[in-house]
Amino acid sequence: MKTYKNSRGVVGNFSYDDLRPHEKEGLITAIKKGATRREVMGWMMAAGATVATAGSVFTGASAAFAATPKRGGKIIAAGDQHGPKDTLDPILNTAAIDYFRGRMFYNKLVRLKDDLSWEPDIASEVIPNADATNWTFKLRKDIEWHNGKTLDADDVIYTLERHLGKDTKSNGKALVSMIKDIHKVNKHEIMLHLDSPNADLPMALGTFHFSVVQNGVDKFDTAIGTGPYKVKEFKPGVRTIGVPFANCFSGAGYLDEIEHYGIGDPNARLAAFLNGDVDMMVNVDPKAIPEVEKAEGKDIWTVESGRYLSIVCHQGVDPSNNRDLIRAMQLCINRKRIVKGDLKGMGSLGNDQPIGSAYFDHSKDLEQRPLDLEKAKYHFNKSGVGNTEVEIIAAEVAPGAVAQCENLQREAKKIGMNLRVKKVTTDGYWGAVWMQGSPFNVTTWNMRPTANIMLTLAYASSSKWNETFWKSDKFDNDLVAVRGVTDAGKRKQMYHDLQEDINMNGGSITPAHLNYTDGAASYVKGLTFCPLNNFGGAESPPYLWRSDA
Amino acid sequence: MPGDAAQIRLGQNADEDSLRAFRAELGLDKPLYYQYLNWLFNFVQGDFGMSLSSDYPTIQLIRDRYENTLVVSLLTAAIGIPISVSLGIIAAMFPGTIYDRILTLGSVTLVAAPEFFTATLLVLFFVFFLDIGSAVVVGGIEGKNIFQLLAHFWLPVMTLCFVIASQLIRMTRAAVLNVMSSPYIEMAILKGIPRSRIVIRHALLNSIGPIVNIIALNLAYLVTGVIVVEVYFGYSGLATLIVQGVQTRDFILIQALGMIFCCTYVILMIIADVAAIVSNPRLRHPK
Repeated sequence: MKTYKNSRGVVGNFSYDDLRPHEKEGLITAIKKGATRREVMGWMMAAGATVATAGSVFTGASAAFAATPKRGGKIIAAGDQHGPKDTLDPILNTAAIDYFRGRMFYNKLVRLKDDLSWEPDIASEVIPNADATNWTFKLRKDIEWHNGKTLDADDVIYTLERHLGKDTKSNGKALVSMIKDIHKVNKHEIMLHLDSPNADLPMALGTFHFSVVQNGVDKFDTAIGTGPYKVKEFKPGVRTIGVPFANCFSGAGYLDEIEHYGIGDPNARLAAFLNGDVDMMVNVDPKAIPEVEKAEGKDIWTVESGRYLSIVCHQGVDPSNNRDLIRAMQLCINRKRIVKGDLKGMGSLGNDQPIGSAYFDHSKDLEQRPLDLEKAKYHFNKSGVGNTEVEIIAAEVAPGAVAQCENLQREAKKIGMNLRVKKVTTDGYWGAVWMQGSPFNVTTWNMRPTANIMLTLAYASSSKWNETFWKSDKFDNDLVAVRGVTDAGKRKQMYHDLQEDINMNGGSITPAHLNYTDGAASYVKGLTFCPLNNFGGAESPPYLWRSDA
Repeated sequence: MPGDAAQIRLGQNADEDSLRAFRAELGLDKPLYYQYLNWLFNFVQGDFGMSLSSDYPTIQLIRDRYENTLVVSLLTAAIGIPISVSLGIIAAMFPGTIYDRILTLGSVTLVAAPEFFTATLLVLFFVFFLDIGSAVVVGGIEGKNIFQLLAHFWLPVMTLCFVIASQLIRMTRAAVLNVMSSPYIEMAILKGIPRSRIVIRHALLNSIGPIVNIIALNLAYLVTGVIVVEVYFGYSGLATLIVQGVQTRDFILIQALGMIFCCTYVILMIIADVAAIVSNPRLRHPK
């Protein structure tokens, strides 16, 4: 019926959210006992609040009361692809289904919030030194593992060490490669020494791969975590079932049972969701959105994200290093049509650089590149490519990945460009096509927690994932320098310049950022809106509850 | 097939160092003949090995799924085979009648309809139009009796019944009619024996051989080839597993499943041959 988005409603200049936890609790208890709006406002105004403030606080508190989670019930969450490769080992997580499962059972040092800030989770305090090269993590002392042991510094050190070193198979190692060594201060405190300043370290440690595992565990046929649910059943490619872990330090999960499995076929997944066989589903096909919105008791759960679609122009080979050819292609891709038509509005315009508006450091001042066939024709004629065929290799690695090429092909024909879209299978695409030397091919990137991580992974010339093979010393230097900048104005300007550099000189045709668009039944509450992945950034498992429980 | 299991598991993030380490851990750095002989040596001792794409032994991945496959196959066979064989025989009793024509038209249509199409129609009709049951198979099968199992899997079973029925009806009819044109049946007709008795008493026994063969082929298909139905109804079976094995380049898993599928096929074929020999004394006396 509705579409849930990540907008935060703040009522008045001071709202319920601004109260301290014990004040919130007192207020809710009063409302539970039957205090009326007039009574609550009377108390607050006696304490010096204005009428408007008191009113907004009461509104917020009643909403919070209505939204106080209930325990009980079961939720079945349907992911997409699953198979033997499903894993409970955080460092090997590769897909949304792993991330969601991981959040059921594990916690991280910090927890990412909807606005991509972080708050302590396993760590009770995070203290950097002045230039962000030493980070101290004080750990909570009351954390119990699913097997009854108590968490201490050795567990966290073991977890982090699995990401370090040359031979690690960690999927998240690029985010922590600057950690030089780990020092155990005492049983509940560790200190990380870094090679280079990194103000974004806690953000990185809040992402999927850094779930804290128990010291010495190297077999992951079950998950010994600290999370709100513990494993009742885990069969790779069949299903995962979690039941509440009563002694979880952050509170047991609200549901009696949470089941997660994959339905690979998008139509079957949608049918199962609409029929009520599953309560939540990932990746509602854009074409099916009107159908879900029409259905009684089913909602679209969409999160605007920095995840994007792009066409890679290899900067080391001909003809994709022809600046005029790239510019011509950038000018004749019809971005609005991709977002409105192919993505059915569940996305936002891309601007030939990866930092979309969901990022904190997104630059609003960078001008949006328009559809301009005349200018495109000028650049195309200047490029001297003429009638030579230009081939783009495309696979449906994300919704719209092939459609963006076909869109470009249609428009390019109008200026006389001879563009061919060669469609290949997604199976094995990352090993066989991507970064294997073809001039043009499609790509997609999930959102990273910070602009710096994203730019470093995909555009720094030393990165193994520098897919456009773009080399710019100035860009590389600025990218490192900005990590130590604490002045907000200067930081903003530097990030603007980095984004503009890619927009003007880089090898990316980035027409659209994709929302994460999932579906949830109306009785599913506690949705999160962290923009890093499906199901609210896979942050939702601890908060999910059923209003009809 | 580009890539290997290590590369697929590490995905877009794979780099040289991680790949080398992971390959060494999985044993993929050894020469191919060594990997194969090592697998074979363990396999003949009953050890299916560790899956390359998973943290689990291959045998456990298979164990998680074979029950689903087995239950669906058996239910489909138990329901689909008697009905379709009877329909085929009835069609053969009255060839050329309106009943025969309807049945032939129906089964030819079904042969032409792919499984996902049949499945979609069934889901649309039963689940969304009549509001009965689930669009996908939800939950496990532990502790369910036969009726609960039937309720659990009824849509996939029904889809598969349609698939095998289309072939079985046509083949049974053809096999029986083939025998019906032989001289001894002509003799029986001339003697004035009723047609229904001729078919059941005289023709059917001689056509058991080909019919059993077709049944065996269909059973083999039910065990090994129902990937579309498994994917469509979202339950995990052996057919999906082997495809996932290919997608993840897990050749240990593929080899184990290949062996299982071969054995199933061989055993079913032996049963079919034995049945043919039992029903036809001529085969027991080689010239």
